[in-house]
Amino acid sequence: MKLLFIPMLSAPAINILLGLLFVLLLIWFFWPGRGGLALMGSFSTNRKKAMLEDALKYLFDCEYRNQPCDINSLAGNLHISGDKASDTVQSLISMGLATSSNHDLSLTDTGRSYALRVIRVHRIWEKYLAEETGVASTHWHTEADRVEHMMTEDSVEELAARMGHPVFDPHGDPIPTVLGELPDNKGVLLSSLKEGDMGLITHLEDEPRAIYDQLVVFGLYAGMQVYVTDVTPQKITIVAGGDEVILTPFFASQVTVNVFSENEPVREKHNNLALLQVGQSAEVAGISPHLRGQQRRRLMDLGIVPGTEVRAVIRSASGDPVGYRIMGTTIGIRKSQAEHIYIKNIRTYEPEYQA
Amino acid sequence: MSQNIKHDCENCPVHNKANLVRLGINPENVDFIIALAGNPNTGKSTVFNNFTGLKQHTGNWPGKTVSRAEGGYIFNDKKYKVVDLPGTYSLLSTSTDEEVARNFILFGQPDVTVIVTDATRLERNLNLALQILEITDRAVLCLNLMDEARRNNIKIDIRALSRELGIPVIPASARSREGMDELLLAIEEVASGKYVCRPHKIKSKSAGLNHAISEISGQLMAHFPGLPNATWVAMRLLEGDSSIIEAIRSGHLGSLSPDREVTQPV
Amino acid sequence: MESFSDQQSREEIISSANRARWELGVNFHDTVIESIYEDASRIARKTVVVEGGREAYSTDIAIDKIVTSRWLGFPIMFLLLALVFWLTVAGANYPSGLLANLLIDKFLPVLHSLGDWLHMPSWLTGVLFDGAYLALAWVVAVMLPPMAIFFPMFTLLEDLGYLPRVAFNMDSLFRRAGAHGKQALTMSMGFGCNAAGVVAARVIDSPRERLIAIITNNFSLCNGRWPTQILIATIFIGSMVPAAWAGLVSAGAVVTIAVTGIVFSLVVSWGLSKTVLKGEASAFSLELPPYRPPRLMQTLYTSLIDRTIFVLWRAMVFAMPAGVVIWLVANIHVGDQSIAEHFIHWANPFALFFGLNGVILLAYIIAIPANEIVIPTILMLTVLSANIVRAGAGTGVMFELDSLEDTAGILRQGGWTLLTGVNLMLFSLLHNPCSTTIYTIYKETGSMKWTMLATFLPIVMGLIICFFTTQIWHLYHI
Repeated sequence: MKLLFIPMLSAPAINILLGLLFVLLLIWFFWPGRGGLALMGSFSTNRKKAMLEDALKYLFDCEYRNQPCDINSLAGNLHISGDKASDTVQSLISMGLATSSNHDLSLTDTGRSYALRVIRVHRIWEKYLAEETGVASTHWHTEADRVEHMMTEDSVEELAARMGHPVFDPHGDPIPTVLGELPDNKGVLLSSLKEGDMGLITHLEDEPRAIYDQLVVFGLYAGMQVYVTDVTPQKITIVAGGDEVILTPFFASQVTVNVFSENEPVREKHNNLALLQVGQSAEVAGISPHLRGQQRRRLMDLGIVPGTEVRAVIRSASGDPVGYRIMGTTIGIRKSQAEHIYIKNIRTYEPEYQA
Repeated sequence: MSQNIKHDCENCPVHNKANLVRLGINPENVDFIIALAGNPNTGKSTVFNNFTGLKQHTGNWPGKTVSRAEGGYIFNDKKYKVVDLPGTYSLLSTSTDEEVARNFILFGQPDVTVIVTDATRLERNLNLALQILEITDRAVLCLNLMDEARRNNIKIDIRALSRELGIPVIPASARSREGMDELLLAIEEVASGKYVCRPHKIKSKSAGLNHAISEISGQLMAHFPGLPNATWVAMRLLEGDSSIIEAIRSGHLGSLSPDREVTQPV
Repeated sequence: MESFSDQQSREEIISSANRARWELGVNFHDTVIESIYEDASRIARKTVVVEGGREAYSTDIAIDKIVTSRWLGFPIMFLLLALVFWLTVAGANYPSGLLANLLIDKFLPVLHSLGDWLHMPSWLTGVLFDGAYLALAWVVAVMLPPMAIFFPMFTLLEDLGYLPRVAFNMDSLFRRAGAHGKQALTMSMGFGCNAAGVVAARVIDSPRERLIAIITNNFSLCNGRWPTQILIATIFIGSMVPAAWAGLVSAGAVVTIAVTGIVFSLVVSWGLSKTVLKGEASAFSLELPPYRPPRLMQTLYTSLIDRTIFVLWRAMVFAMPAGVVIWLVANIHVGDQSIAEHFIHWANPFALFFGLNGVILLAYIIAIPANEIVIPTILMLTVLSANIVRAGAGTGVMFELDSLEDTAGILRQGGWTLLTGVNLMLFSLLHNPCSTTIYTIYKETGSMKWTMLATFLPIVMGLIICFFTTQIWHLYHI
């Protein structure tokens, strides 16, 4: 075919265009997640199996939180039609994984241990994403939802062993053991707390996503101390990590906390290490739970523990990592990490070496 | 005790030096196994090279020597194997280096673990030293880089440090071979049982943790009587350490008893 | 014989530990570390006294202030690295020539006469001497001197404690690319040898960032490729300007290629951290160790043993079979042409599309063990395929010429133009790593997948870049 209708274009120009097209195609094909290769992969995953496992997970979740569930709530939770949901439930019942009485669905023992296995994979994968990959926290759940149906048991256990057999996922949920053990649900909802109550966030509900994302934007995370300052029917005011956060009762009902028995003092709002100017020194007050896994451990190994004196001594030529003098050694720390290290008692240090 | 060693040796360095035979790589039929542990940048490799006559090079990066180097020497007619462990800041994290170091000190059963520390930043180095003392009862602290410490006007009360830690503390400057003979002697005394260590043990400040540790170490002691470091093993169990879990599952942990013969052939 | 109940009670210990972990919650590890530090600090307070007003290591901090300062930090770094590279390139010339003279000019004829004396058939002397031995000799002659200079100098900088400061200064650049500051070091190391750079990536803790450093290391123009770049730049680019400027312009061209490599390395790092190795830049907590006087003899000894010999050995192991293959494809005839000629003619139309030619493609395929033997292979294949007489060391034998004009003459007779030269320079930067590096990547990652990616990504990129260069060139030079 001669490209007569674009006569201005010479052969090299056509080549360039075709080349560009080819490159775009190549990029599309190899694009992770949504590209051609990923599409081909997703055709091969067993959709039916994924659906059944998701339903089992949901049933278990209801059981764990002592909430009733039926076909309608299942359909709503999995974003499927009622017909599809009742098909799925029929399959579960015929496989001996679930039972139904008066529309209430519950798990059989086999179904429960199956569900626990899927949950274990999900939470271990989330833990892995959080601690070893640097994937953004808003992506952990979706990514784990995809992976949980594909991982083999061996590879999950290998991963778990490498990470030191974790018992909590990054949202603060306990990870079931290989034998399917799981501790009892002890937490209460933040919405049930009274003024003056203190607690430790143990879980942020990750469904529905929009709410979870918003909670993350508020700066809430598992392991954070909260202090309820005001409760009205319209809103709950809490102090979390030194900042005041106002939540509607619905948002607060998505947060699970363990109420403190001891009367620990409220943590005042701390400065962070990134604010320390070269020539100033301060005392470490703590590390935010945002820094987790290896990152956190490495920082502690290097001497960043409450009570240690830190002094900013040098700034990198490109401005970012700053060198801090900690226990006689200069340690370079990036701003993005220093922001998560709390300090107190900032003082200006008199540099003696200039004398 | 450590003062005595130092005193003895000031009178006889030549004698000791004559008694050191470096074996380089590949020692066989050794009497004692020595592990060298320490933070990165403390001159651990220099001590190793001094003992063995090898020329092991490790840059000043953690992660540089992932595998461990081995060598040997003869001192006062006893044959020693030295294992240079990767330099780490801690033994409680999950990196490969730490796993190698941790597992060797626990399962490799060295007769003496020499903890090489930087005298100019003792506090930082004590973090690792205290962790090692949780695992093993037989250790010597080599306070290296004393020349740098002197230059920087840092004074260390050796006697008090030795008393606090419950192990011999030998000041040294491995680069100029200062203190190496005293170190060899201290190793010998600990290995042969002449010096009995009373290592410092960490007391946790959290009541909940103490409770958990005592409960689990109680169970461990019941099942593996004579386990020398039940507290440490319990702590590692609480960290989910795979190799410890495996050792318990297989029962292998039981073979780590404290009363084995010191001169047991390896 | 142990009883079942023993086993059961052991399992019970494990699961009671598990229950305790749930009780203790997420901050358990922190508590442990904090109590250890508390003891450590109590002991240190009792036993350590700092006398006098001066703080320990104040000189170190003063030096650090200079080498990391906003104005002097980067100039000092570039000067030092430039000095290392210049000393390597300049210093390696003479010993390389000497080794080549000894191993190739002197010893090869000796081997041949030995072959004659033993009445060895010509195919055997060809395979053994002109193939295996010649490739081996070439690799040793071209590789050994620059490495023996580069690695000790690099190790000196490392022992001195300067390299961690480089990582500290360069970190923000790499952070934006989703990589680790220490990648600056593996990258610099890659300028010496990619295989060594890949091994050096061990210093990076995070597996994700370590993989990025390994995969992108090939974009550092290694020692083996500098001579190719310099030769081609001198012949094709230097010759375009007046002789007085030729040196400067061709040096500029080579530096441009090297800098392009750095840019590619950052861009690809960024791309990887957005796609297959998705993630944010992780922790960067780097100890800046105190400056210590390096010990020259020790450094010399260990850098020669640990790095130079290690890399050279691997290269030699791969070079010998490649030498055999090179000789065979050039000397086995199918019909009236050698296999090499068949391939060259077959690949020519395809290669010309990318502004290269069949000779270059074949050379890069069969000279995969070491970039050092690419130019000799290209010259041999060019002479073979263009039927140039009276040049080189005989049919189907690798060679290099002392005279630049002669080399240029051969290449131009082989149909090379400025475009071919430019594309060869680009392709030399952007092609698969040498087999030594590929093998090292496999050893370090233990994964076929990442090894494949590290191998094919640069080739695909190289072909795409060459394609567009060529087509745009044609657009303006019709």
